[in-house]
Amino acid sequence: MTANGKGMFFDGATSARRPVLIELTPDYLAVRDAEHRDIIARWRYDRLDHLYAPEGILRLGEVGARAPARLEVRDAALIAAIDDISVPVDRSGANERRSRMKVVGWSVVATIVLVLAAVFGVPALADRLAPLVPLRAERLLGEAVDGQVRTMLDKTGGKSPFECGSGSGEAAGRAAFVKLLGKLETAAALPIPLDAKVIRRGEPNAVALPGGHVYVFEGLIAKSENADEVAAVIAHEIGHVAHRDGTRSVLQSAGLSFLFGMLLGDFVGGSAVVIGARAVLQSSYSRDVEGAADLYGVELMHKAGGNPRALATVLERIAGAIHPGMEILRDHPDTQARVRVINEFAAAAPPPKPLLEPSEWAALKLICKGR
Amino acid sequence: MNDVNPFDAAALGSAPVPPDVAHPNGVRFLEHEKDFWRLLTRGAVLLLVTLGIYRFWLATDVRRHLWNNTEITGDTLEYIGTARELLVGFLIAIALLVPIYAVFYLGALAPDILAQAASFVALVVLALLGQFAVYRARRYRLSRTVYRGIRFHQTGSAWRYAICAIFWWGLIGVTLGLAYPWAQASLERFKIRNTFYGNLQGQFVGSGTRLFFRGFVMWLLIVGPLLLGLIVAVGAVDWNAVSEALRRGNREAFRGVEAAGAATAAAFATLAISWSVLAIAALYPAFQAMVLRWWISGLRFGELTVTSHLRTGTVYGLYWRFVWISLVFGLVFSIVAGIAGGLIYLIGSVGANSAPKELMQTFIGIGAYVIAALGYSTIYQATVKLRLWKNGFESIELGNVAVLDTVKAAGAASSAVGEGFADALNVGSI
Repeated sequence: MTANGKGMFFDGATSARRPVLIELTPDYLAVRDAEHRDIIARWRYDRLDHLYAPEGILRLGEVGARAPARLEVRDAALIAAIDDISVPVDRSGANERRSRMKVVGWSVVATIVLVLAAVFGVPALADRLAPLVPLRAERLLGEAVDGQVRTMLDKTGGKSPFECGSGSGEAAGRAAFVKLLGKLETAAALPIPLDAKVIRRGEPNAVALPGGHVYVFEGLIAKSENADEVAAVIAHEIGHVAHRDGTRSVLQSAGLSFLFGMLLGDFVGGSAVVIGARAVLQSSYSRDVEGAADLYGVELMHKAGGNPRALATVLERIAGAIHPGMEILRDHPDTQARVRVINEFAAAAPPPKPLLEPSEWAALKLICKGR
Repeated sequence: MNDVNPFDAAALGSAPVPPDVAHPNGVRFLEHEKDFWRLLTRGAVLLLVTLGIYRFWLATDVRRHLWNNTEITGDTLEYIGTARELLVGFLIAIALLVPIYAVFYLGALAPDILAQAASFVALVVLALLGQFAVYRARRYRLSRTVYRGIRFHQTGSAWRYAICAIFWWGLIGVTLGLAYPWAQASLERFKIRNTFYGNLQGQFVGSGTRLFFRGFVMWLLIVGPLLLGLIVAVGAVDWNAVSEALRRGNREAFRGVEAAGAATAAAFATLAISWSVLAIAALYPAFQAMVLRWWISGLRFGELTVTSHLRTGTVYGLYWRFVWISLVFGLVFSIVAGIAGGLIYLIGSVGANSAPKELMQTFIGIGAYVIAALGYSTIYQATVKLRLWKNGFESIELGNVAVLDTVKAAGAASSAVGEGFADALNVGSI
């Protein structure tokens, strides 16, 4: 039995409308020119492409055809007959809904995978890759960052040199600093030379940049009660250098930019997601890195013959002045937790003897006080 | 309702009916606004859930809806692109862009002068790449547009277009917008000349000079007071006194600057800028209607002529609709956000600060912002974008439509990588 009806055909070669007769043979759909009565297309039912069309029209194409030939049917009975006989033709939209559900499912899975990659994959990958980046590259990076950081930190306005130790009356302090540094560097045996300086900044802080640059702020020396406390903070910063944390943070931030910014978050309002996710994740990476540097610092102090618990003491004193903000946005772990971990880790350490003589410590205290 | 449609006659078995040339417009948009709202709302929810990955499917759905409901002399356009093509194009574009970004990133770390040069080069290259992508994305969309079984296609060098576009946009910036009409005319001439429906070549006959004279008053109303205000502001300040005050530094400086007429200047500048912002808001629909009318009326495809009768009032109407729906949404959202805010406060007041609690609060806060942004974007698309499309098409009067019956197929489907670039560089449109 064959069902027949009328339709409109576009052959894909010209834009002419061709009124056609449609015949549903058992094997294929035959399109016959309404006038000449010759068959102009034979489409197998399983190769019919059910296309979007306005209501009341069934628009068909052929799967894999080069030219977009089209057959349009408006005869409701014929449409129903084609729907019955051809698998791909599905007026209920169930096929469409099923494939769309699949798309949604996979998109959600992809999103979860990418978010997990940002939380766990990026820091893990950065850990593996950082040691593989040549030291030369890290030093180049260090030079560039160094210049930027110096201009950022230098608030002396050119009145006095940014670095302490070059003025008159500062030589003794400088010698003490070099001695302290020498002890730490020998114990650390770094693959790159350390370039540490004391700078004129009031905050009790120290920073390590890529490529072995360490800046110890004047304010840290002022707040410290003995040489081992200063050394402990420097040892922590040496930890950043030894762990290649400069390179690591570049890799982390590149990975994070790729996931949040390039792959995820490209929609209206998505920038908030990107900013929020980056802030939270970067802080969490940073907390891990700081924790690792603490442990390194404790061990280095132990090796250099200093007080391994000095870091905990000085941290407690400094942190008293700092008001904690949101925990998830803090780039350092909670001070209490840090102190606890340091003290646990340093529990078995031998009783300390000071790294500097009292006279040397007194000189170091004055490293920025000369003119 | 279907009086323009030759299919009915054919279906009834009579002889084929030629397209109804007598119909005044020949173009109409089959409105299914509810479907469009549903599609957009579902899309917005999925965008949120998938952090944007769903955008390829949403964009495809939107295009399909717009194209497939646009009927020209009885036959609708067809959008045959797929979301999968867009996704693959995007991934390829990302793979090509990552090394470029990496080079610029490393360049920015180089010593000073080199870093500045690198960031300048990066800016130019990315701008060029953006315009390149705009042109290539257009090519993709055209080659996925089918009408009566025949594809559209686009020829022409995308790099050439990109260079021209950068040149013109630079000129527009330098001339404070005065070059806009000629820029548009020139770029559209290039685009439309390279646009084909089968073997039927497009041509753009809109005149930049004519657009300039039509829009000049608008430009005067917006830019004129701004320029005048800024000139007066600059003139009101005694610059010698300012530099003197700044040299003396510290506490004296502020008083000195104030005495030099900075307050008056600031008042003038503020006034001028607010005037311009208000003028832009008030005149934008008129500007859009004017440009759209000019653009549509400049289109030719072989013998086919196109004229637009788009009314400015219509465009104001659709923006007005956007405004009031947005207000209603804003009101509803504020109430919901208020409740959510209370929730955050409640969570905050229970127990000590902890990381999971803070994460939850951040999550709710960002979520609220994103929902608001997606809400407004959805309303915009369902009101302004849909109605502009509809009214734009329905304003069209076609001449010599018989040309459309004898077009021969030409051109092939092109890749979606350009569209992927456009997406990755955030220069995509519809």
